[in-house]
Amino acid sequence: MNKHILAVLVFVISVAIHSQETETKSSFDKIGDRLNVSIESNGQWYLNDEKFEDFDEEERLRANSYLRIDYQISERFSSGFQLESYVPEPLLNYSRLFDKEIGLGTFYLNYSTKKLDITLGHYYVQFGSGLLLRAWEDRALGVNNALRGGKVVYDPTNYLRLTALYGKQRKGFDVTESDVFGFETQFDIADAFQLENLNSLKLGLSYVGKKESYNKAGLIGGSQPTIEIPELVNAFGANLDLEYKNLYTNFEYIYKSEDARLNNVIPNIVTFSEKALFDGNAITWNVGYSQKGFGIGYTFRRLENMRFFSERSFLNLNNNPTTQLSMNYLPALTKQHDYTLANIYIYQAQPGLVIENYGTPLIKSGEIGESVDVFYKIKKGSLLGGKYGTKLSLNWSYWANLTTSYSDPSGTLYFTGDDLTYETELLNFDDKLYSEINAEIRKKWSPKLKSIFTYINLNYNKGFLESKGADDFVNAWIGVAESTYKFQGGKSVRLELQHLSTNDDARNWAGGTIEYFFNSKFGVYLNDSYNYEESKITENTEIHFFNLGGSFTTGSTRIGVNYGRQRGGLLCVGGVCRPVSKNTGVTLNLVTTF
Amino acid sequence: MKKIIYILVFSLSFTLFSQEQLPNTTLKTLTGSTTTLTEIAEADDLIVVSLWATWCVPCKNELDAVADVYDDWVSETGVTYYAVSIDDSRTAKRVKPMINGKGWEFEILLDENSDLKRAFGVSTVPYTIIIKSGEIVYKHTGYTPGFEDELYEKIVAFKN
Repeated sequence: MNKHILAVLVFVISVAIHSQETETKSSFDKIGDRLNVSIESNGQWYLNDEKFEDFDEEERLRANSYLRIDYQISERFSSGFQLESYVPEPLLNYSRLFDKEIGLGTFYLNYSTKKLDITLGHYYVQFGSGLLLRAWEDRALGVNNALRGGKVVYDPTNYLRLTALYGKQRKGFDVTESDVFGFETQFDIADAFQLENLNSLKLGLSYVGKKESYNKAGLIGGSQPTIEIPELVNAFGANLDLEYKNLYTNFEYIYKSEDARLNNVIPNIVTFSEKALFDGNAITWNVGYSQKGFGIGYTFRRLENMRFFSERSFLNLNNNPTTQLSMNYLPALTKQHDYTLANIYIYQAQPGLVIENYGTPLIKSGEIGESVDVFYKIKKGSLLGGKYGTKLSLNWSYWANLTTSYSDPSGTLYFTGDDLTYETELLNFDDKLYSEINAEIRKKWSPKLKSIFTYINLNYNKGFLESKGADDFVNAWIGVAESTYKFQGGKSVRLELQHLSTNDDARNWAGGTIEYFFNSKFGVYLNDSYNYEESKITENTEIHFFNLGGSFTTGSTRIGVNYGRQRGGLLCVGGVCRPVSKNTGVTLNLVTTF
Repeated sequence: MKKIIYILVFSLSFTLFSQEQLPNTTLKTLTGSTTTLTEIAEADDLIVVSLWATWCVPCKNELDAVADVYDDWVSETGVTYYAVSIDDSRTAKRVKPMINGKGWEFEILLDENSDLKRAFGVSTVPYTIIIKSGEIVYKHTGYTPGFEDELYEKIVAFKN
């Protein structure tokens, strides 16, 4: 690792020296123009809280920091790297892979022309909608699954794009043992055949292979394999996009070849069942219509055994709660809400194959569901539209566990057999996990005053989704009203009131936020979520989860400070979640780009 | 700890620089064809690029606020406003009905795997830049009510 740091420092120094030796201002500017530097640092000081047990880990002051530098060497060449620091320890609930590490996270060299784009080093990439392959970074989630190797994108004509890649996936500050191969072709049919009636017709075909030896020695327990566990897992995808006038539709199908399944007799120990193999597949379909002032979209998705990791053992999510080494992107397709009380009962996608081995096996093999979005703008000047128009959006979604039947030839009274197999039904929505209906109204009353009203009604199968047991639903509705008033000179105040009503789980919550901006640069806020009723969920009974903080923004620099008590639960970004434990502390965030 | 200091020192040595050149990142249009900011900047002298997402409330506040006055901005300054959605495949399908449903009239582009967001080194959206004659002349992170007025003043200043 030290070597890497050295290499980077040498590079940094050489650039710095080069720039300082350049005498004329114009050349100096040129280097500045070609360089992009961004820094992000998120630190937290964990405090004891009389409401919780004392913070008993060694390091109370922690930070995750990132320095990214990109340099445009010439018209066609660019290069860059990212340094990351997780010392003395990463923030709570980040992957252990980053423990106490500091060093070179990613680096690349890129050559790019109109037709050809070649990257060596780390790269990010997505095939189709990411169900087959997505290498991406999300710092809030602690995800960086960049591939390290080579990627070539070639456009022989303007209606054809070919992508080929090879790499090993990033694993902490290292890479995995396994190899990943990928190939994608995107063909613009409408363009190639001059189909002028259509706005768009495109076909994408893709392949991803993962080669990983099955390392029996590294595993504890398990029987002698009676079948061969494949070294190479192949996945194929096809997607079709069509757009005609105001209508659009998109269809995608993925097939993932057979691999061993995780056998979780003991939750934290990784073993595989070695007598049966399972394949996976995914289907998504979107269709929508939109015109000025109105839009509607429908989405269907079915996922079966679609977890795809570059190392099999990472399938055990007890050991890997932040889904490190995931090769594909499997977000929940429910609407993402911004309000704190709307983030207590969050649906997380259920794409994987999990067989609970005890007694009568409980088989989770995937999810099926659908959602509808409607957007409508009531015209200015109408009765409901008022002077500025009123914007409405509605969303409905429903998700279910796949309905399965199984055969378990050698199962015992207490444990399922290694040769268990299962069958799923293609379109059965009976085994409900979650449903939600929500509506949002945005209203501008005057040039100075705006309001947003939100209503959410949800059904959350807590039994199945959290404790992995029998169905146990939380039925709740949430109402939120917020208004922003703008004064002269960039001053503004925002007030937000929330209430969550339910007789289940931790029962009712009330919440609110008040935020004041002294000008467009400097603002402060206070928010609170208060559970005001007794319930069987003692940790969330009669407790305030509050935050008090401020932010200062100037240009592309932002500094934020927060003091507060966080509820344990899920932190979700873009439908992907990671568990966070309850904590109290002071956080400091700094983001800047030059 | 020492290492952190090293990194901070070296990163500070870069504070003198600032990126003004446009990245070569490929962006998708709503009809699925591709373009880059360089191509866009060749066609339009004065543009605003705002990174946003369908799930980001301050982003929608900014775009709603700009949408209300956009006609005036165009007729007064000739500026073109590009709202680049960083929605990934989870929410990208919501972009089209949303912009139509809201009646937004700016140009919409898609950055589905956050390539442009990364190229700008952006951590949070909204992130707004002004491009004049192919160079980045102004950057701003975040949205506060009334920022649209400040942005407009900048646009007018760079118009000349």
